[in-house]
Amino acid sequence: MIKLEKENLIEKIMNDPQPMPRKVPDYMRKKGGIWFWTGAMIMIVFFYEVITGLILFFYYQPSNAYTSTENLLSLPYGTLILTTHLYGAYLMIGLVYLHLIRNMIVGSYKHPRQIQWLSGVLLLILTVAVAYFGYSMTGDVLSSDATDVGRGIANGVPLIGSYLSSIVLGTGTELSLFSRLEGWHILLAGTILLLFAVHFYLAEYNTIMPKAEDVNFKVPAIDKEKPSYKPWYPYNLLYMIQIALFTFALIFLIPSILSLLPSVPALFSPFPQVAATSPLASSVPPYPPWFLLFVYKELDFQISSVLGPFWAVTLFTGLPLIYLLILPYIEKSDTLKVTRRSIVVSTAIVGLVYLIGLSYWGAAYPGVPVPNIIALTFFIVPMLIVVPLVYYIAKRIENEKTSYGTSVWKIYTLLAFTGFMAIMTGISIYSSIVYGNYYYYIASIFTAMILAISALGLYALIYGLKVNTERKRLSNKGYILFGSIYAFLAIAILSIISVIPPTTIENQALYGFGMGLIFVLGGAFIKLYRSYVFNE
Amino acid sequence: MGRSYGNCWLDDWRCGSRLLKGINVSTEEKVPDENRRKFLKLLGVLVIGAGTVGALRSVVQNIIPPVENVESSFPTLTLYLPNGNPVHTSDLIVNNPQIVVFDYPLQNEPSFLLRLGDSSNNDVEIKSTQVKIPATGKSFASVPGVGPYNSVVGSSAICQHLGCVPPEIHFYPPSSSSFPGKIHCACHGSTYDPYSGFSVVTGPTQSPLPNVNLVYDKTNDTYSATVMVGPTIYGHSDDLSGGQQITTAGKTVITTIQ
Repeated sequence: MIKLEKENLIEKIMNDPQPMPRKVPDYMRKKGGIWFWTGAMIMIVFFYEVITGLILFFYYQPSNAYTSTENLLSLPYGTLILTTHLYGAYLMIGLVYLHLIRNMIVGSYKHPRQIQWLSGVLLLILTVAVAYFGYSMTGDVLSSDATDVGRGIANGVPLIGSYLSSIVLGTGTELSLFSRLEGWHILLAGTILLLFAVHFYLAEYNTIMPKAEDVNFKVPAIDKEKPSYKPWYPYNLLYMIQIALFTFALIFLIPSILSLLPSVPALFSPFPQVAATSPLASSVPPYPPWFLLFVYKELDFQISSVLGPFWAVTLFTGLPLIYLLILPYIEKSDTLKVTRRSIVVSTAIVGLVYLIGLSYWGAAYPGVPVPNIIALTFFIVPMLIVVPLVYYIAKRIENEKTSYGTSVWKIYTLLAFTGFMAIMTGISIYSSIVYGNYYYYIASIFTAMILAISALGLYALIYGLKVNTERKRLSNKGYILFGSIYAFLAIAILSIISVIPPTTIENQALYGFGMGLIFVLGGAFIKLYRSYVFNE
Repeated sequence: MGRSYGNCWLDDWRCGSRLLKGINVSTEEKVPDENRRKFLKLLGVLVIGAGTVGALRSVVQNIIPPVENVESSFPTLTLYLPNGNPVHTSDLIVNNPQIVVFDYPLQNEPSFLLRLGDSSNNDVEIKSTQVKIPATGKSFASVPGVGPYNSVVGSSAICQHLGCVPPEIHFYPPSSSSFPGKIHCACHGSTYDPYSGFSVVTGPTQSPLPNVNLVYDKTNDTYSATVMVGPTIYGHSDDLSGGQQITTAGKTVITTIQ
């Protein structure tokens, strides 16, 4: 192991090219295998973002940032493209954090994946930066709050502060600000693409991180290709398409549902807020987009006002980043057992608690100063609770007093979702009776369909859990029947949404909702097909 | 049970044909029927195709530039200085060597604002003339000068040849050594005469600059743009489509370049 580490990685890659893409074990395509594909999902969302982003450039004008963004909403399907671009970005940030936490807990930063881990941390920084510039391009009141905070931080950099501020955010005029934001947005997105290539190549080079039990919980965790592994085509390709379709479904469904809801809080609204110069701007609380709320709250701390924004950000976001960057070089134990790495697991959980806590705090009390003692309590209490708890659970698992593997949380989550959909169905049926509007009928059909599907899922979960899960195949006719139903529904939904004129925001949201359902059907179909033909 | 028995999936043709011949009949329920599989594939193409059609349709319809007019009729916009005051006659310099433009009728569509004079910088009265459009052979009546000396005129500042905008295209005062008293576009050499309705002097342009009809308010000493006269603005199918409305209600702000 020590010997391997001293070899030159670039030399190994250049002089000893590895097969690409490698075959992967079958369990990656089975139940729970989705955790091996969080990176692939990020890539899928990223490509969606690139394409929709470039379409948005057909109409974006830095000289009238806000009006040209608002104007997008009145173009045919402009609302759909703008809102899905926004929510795709949100999804990407969420998935990046998920990918990070997952890999931190399973220990995939360990030898031989240190460089891969470092490139991943850089990608996290780049993703948040791209999202920052992208959001700020709208020119609405949230974006101007975000650029103000950005200027404050940049200006606080010693010696070169004002230069840095003008390099990043322009010389003060609107045109120079939005031209710069546009430029940085694309430049950093391009950098992500390049770093993606490196990250993926390393992932192929180092092989996927196999299940820890397959390598006896010891580093280096390298997947040794077995003859039974199935080839990429068609097995993994179809699986990737399945994931892609489900991911697209999320990107389409979430903003479409939010667009149809009457009043969504500014933080999660899929639309640009009022212009920063509008008199209504004062009615929107002064905060940046949600993924930067934690930075914003850290600036409210008493110590931050003493340090100034730059040093405060360096302290509060720099320290966790430095921890992530040096993690592979300080945690060099050769075990992959989660229960033996309680420190890392606790820091992952505590970090997540800080992130969510600070974000919520920033949303609920924007700009309210925080005395040092309260800030200190906020940081110390979760640590005091989580760290001993993680050690305690680890010990119980080691002594086999607690077993993992109960999926009760799925039932609770789906139960909550079914309840939500029941309320939505009730509202839309009520509305279609009271108003008799054509679009309410469509909305009722859609929501009722989702309600039926989730109720079925709930039934299957509850009763399927009691029966022990030997995976059952449908009969041959069953596959044909379900396949026909999926195809019929997809064509039916396409026909329904095709007649909706893309004139209003609501109509476009219905179109997006229908598209989301078609993508769900597509993903479900491929799952069915894989089960039928490959028995997967 | 190895690959040749229960795991005999259809990508393995030799194995599949053995099964069709009746070998290992006991596994037949697990092995998909060829026709059924083809039918399922067809259904899959339908589902994915529905998603693709829906996605492509929205993208294609989105990227077609909107053709409907953003304004139902020409807006009347009063000219304002960047400092927020209306433009008065004293703010306009006769034969100004600097370029003064304002957006009209839509955003990002510069129009010249000129106060024309003779070679000793005295105001010259501009009268309406018939201006010929070489491209079509038709002609139109140009807009006369306005203001106390009838010397203030306006036109689109987008060259009718290939759409160059200021500073490439600009007015050369009568005292200038090159192109005296003409509007000349440095891109390809088109020259227009602002003293006679922005008519074509030299090609390659085949069309005069569209005139901006200005209205002078004597009591307040202010200027407003009300309508475009003559050919359509370069690059447009209609003066009022293919762009965005000016958002400052009733106002358009003049900008000085150079």
